[in-house]
Amino acid sequence: MFFLTFIVDQPVHGKAGEWIGVLEDLIVRIGDERYPPIAGLVVRDGRRRFFVPARHLQDLKGAARLSSSTVDLQSFSRRDGEILLRRDVLDHQLIDITGRRIVRVNDVQLTRVEGVYRVVGVDISARALLRRLGPRFLAGRIVGRQIIDWSDVQYLASAAPVQLKVSYDRLAELNPVDLARIVDALSYRESAEIVAALDEETAAETLEEVSDERLADLLEGMDQERAADILEEMTPAAAADVLENLDEDVAEQLLARMEPEEAADVQAHLAYDEDSAGRLMSTHFVTISAVATVGDSLAALRSMEEVPDPLLALYVVAPDDPDHLQGIVRLRSLILADPATPLADLMDEDVPTVSPNDRAEDAARVLAEYNLLAVPVLDDETRKLIGIVTVDDALAVLLPEVWQRRGTRVFAA
Amino acid sequence: METPARPRLRRFWPYLRALGPGLLAAAAGNDAGGIATYASAGASYGYGLLWAMVLVTIFVGVVQEMSARMGAVTGKGFSDLVRESFSLRITALILLTLLVANAGIIVSEFIGIAAAAELFGVSRYVAVPLAAVLVWLLITRGSYGWVERIFLVLSFAFLAYVGSAFLARPDWSEVLGHTLQPRLRMEVGYLYVLIALIGTTISPYMQLYVQSSVVEKGVTPSDYRYTRFDVIIGTVIAGLVAGFIIIATAATLFPRGIEIETAADAARALEPVAGSYARVLFGLGLLGASLLAAGVLPLATTYMLSEALGFERGVSRTWDEAPIFMGVFTGLIVLGASVALIPGLPLMQVLVGVYVLNGILLPIELFAILRLVNDRELMGSHVNSPSYNILAWGIAILVSLLSLILIVLTVLGWFS
Repeated sequence: MFFLTFIVDQPVHGKAGEWIGVLEDLIVRIGDERYPPIAGLVVRDGRRRFFVPARHLQDLKGAARLSSSTVDLQSFSRRDGEILLRRDVLDHQLIDITGRRIVRVNDVQLTRVEGVYRVVGVDISARALLRRLGPRFLAGRIVGRQIIDWSDVQYLASAAPVQLKVSYDRLAELNPVDLARIVDALSYRESAEIVAALDEETAAETLEEVSDERLADLLEGMDQERAADILEEMTPAAAADVLENLDEDVAEQLLARMEPEEAADVQAHLAYDEDSAGRLMSTHFVTISAVATVGDSLAALRSMEEVPDPLLALYVVAPDDPDHLQGIVRLRSLILADPATPLADLMDEDVPTVSPNDRAEDAARVLAEYNLLAVPVLDDETRKLIGIVTVDDALAVLLPEVWQRRGTRVFAA
Repeated sequence: METPARPRLRRFWPYLRALGPGLLAAAAGNDAGGIATYASAGASYGYGLLWAMVLVTIFVGVVQEMSARMGAVTGKGFSDLVRESFSLRITALILLTLLVANAGIIVSEFIGIAAAAELFGVSRYVAVPLAAVLVWLLITRGSYGWVERIFLVLSFAFLAYVGSAFLARPDWSEVLGHTLQPRLRMEVGYLYVLIALIGTTISPYMQLYVQSSVVEKGVTPSDYRYTRFDVIIGTVIAGLVAGFIIIATAATLFPRGIEIETAADAARALEPVAGSYARVLFGLGLLGASLLAAGVLPLATTYMLSEALGFERGVSRTWDEAPIFMGVFTGLIVLGASVALIPGLPLMQVLVGVYVLNGILLPIELFAILRLVNDRELMGSHVNSPSYNILAWGIAILVSLLSLILIVLTVLGWFS
């Protein structure tokens, strides 16, 4: 195994030892293989740059040696599907999947496997920088300490000015929150690349956590059908917040492309002020008639197409008026009770509620004060149950700093 | 389907919204060193450098526009681009240059604080350490946001120079004559102040700041034109304020042959506006501008290094989590404060000297910007047009020549 910076700018010799040029760069074919193979060399002689295919390469370590003397030196020009290690990988940023962060490549590790040279890792240690800055003879003594396997990194195709088919499978391993943090930290082009590679559901989960500015830029920059699909995958509350940050015309167009039901849900949220409980609440909750038993409820839950997440309680409603809240049965009580128990016996009737026009902070405070996991939202006039504010949303409201991803990045040069 | 008529504040008035990076960077340009340089220029050479001010303002507009454009098109900061496009050795050189230049400016900010303190009769040995601790605490505790605004407002006191310039009733035809007629004098003193003028107006860190702000705001190539408007406005305003400072000191101090040795001298130019309160007004402005920059500069420099070199960054982290970041950041503040406390330091001269250094190092940054902004692989169709290139390259070469001449003349001066 050896490093890229050890071999570049070293002479390249033909079979008979004659001087051909200086090794400028290595061409790597990127795409399906786990460890990309070297496809060829870029050799520089004066001002000219030649391409030498890998099959003519005999040895790469130290001074590169070719296996023939009469090499058909084709002039080098870039091709799709290929990247240059020195120009497109070295000193660029990659995503370290296992480390869930962005790293900068300080050196590239290569090795020969069954006669083929492959890229196997990147060195992100500071020592690699020292090694490159210092005189050559010391280089061998400063060994890099932080090597990340190439299969554990996500290469960003926007680093190279050619069309590439990069595999983004490993991105799916990242938690949407981590992914959102990475998306925020990357440049717009790079983050657009990442988001384009995600399926709609993951994209929605990720984008919900991305900062407002970046989110608006991303949605406005992508195909509108896809943007609408992603918005549908988000919770209506999140989608409402997102749409409000977009350009008015674009927001209208996206709403128009969404499924009518979904769009209506989002509109309902948009009807409330930005910081209100009505905007924060989830409209996805489970109601059960008061005459049902515990057994009935569990059966009903299991047969539901989409069970809300988080599921914290069941909302017991009057048998003749399914919008009228009579009480709440916490999931805990449901699980511990005898299946024959009617819900009316189990439920908590004395339940604090909030209005959709209350401030989100006040709803959060109610949750905290009464030790609740969720608080129902009742419409002011009709007293109908229209939504719930859950404890995880309340947390987001009470701890705004956690969600401030932008912060002092303005000073990042 | 109708969306509710909700004020979309974010995208309302796109031009007004874009006002930010350029304007702020321009305001930062009128800091301690800036004031010292412009005031010295007026006091020592009267209106003789106004023509230079016009040209330099155009220069800085061009350079800032290129920086902002790079930020919008690539979405990356300057040090990111340098690291990715140039060899590591060149990257190290450029970063070192910027580090030295910025360190000098940080020193100048603390000198500004020292000078302001002395205007109010407070010993610098009390004021400077206090200010250093204050700034460090404010930034690491995250409350810098609103404090930054207070300092910014204080620094607007320098607008009093504009009033002063009018109240001193200069001969406006003379002013106009000097503004429109370039007259380059090949003397060390003149060139010295000229390069300081360039160094303070086209301060390298301001380019970095503009580019980072553009990146942080998420400006994309399609909405770049609003940002360009902001850059132009900011540049013009900064240039005007600088011009009025020169006119004010030229009209009040130059005729009486008063050179600027201390801050008190510079404050006297405000007497037409503020009478005996000139010292107070000037002191407040100086304090505000210096504190502002004393916070921004170390942070910006440390971020620049951390982006290019890849160490963990963030002021909100503890010493354990980001030791190099906190170390560099703290070190810069300590350095700045320490140098400002050296006994017998000729404050005004050091202030101007720092900007001469900036001016000399500027060509390195300029050539780096030119290489990057013309790289088609990086900028796509947004590279410089040929005519723009002639202008930009012309500026870079001119500035380099001036620096070279100054260095040569100074060295010759040592041997004569």
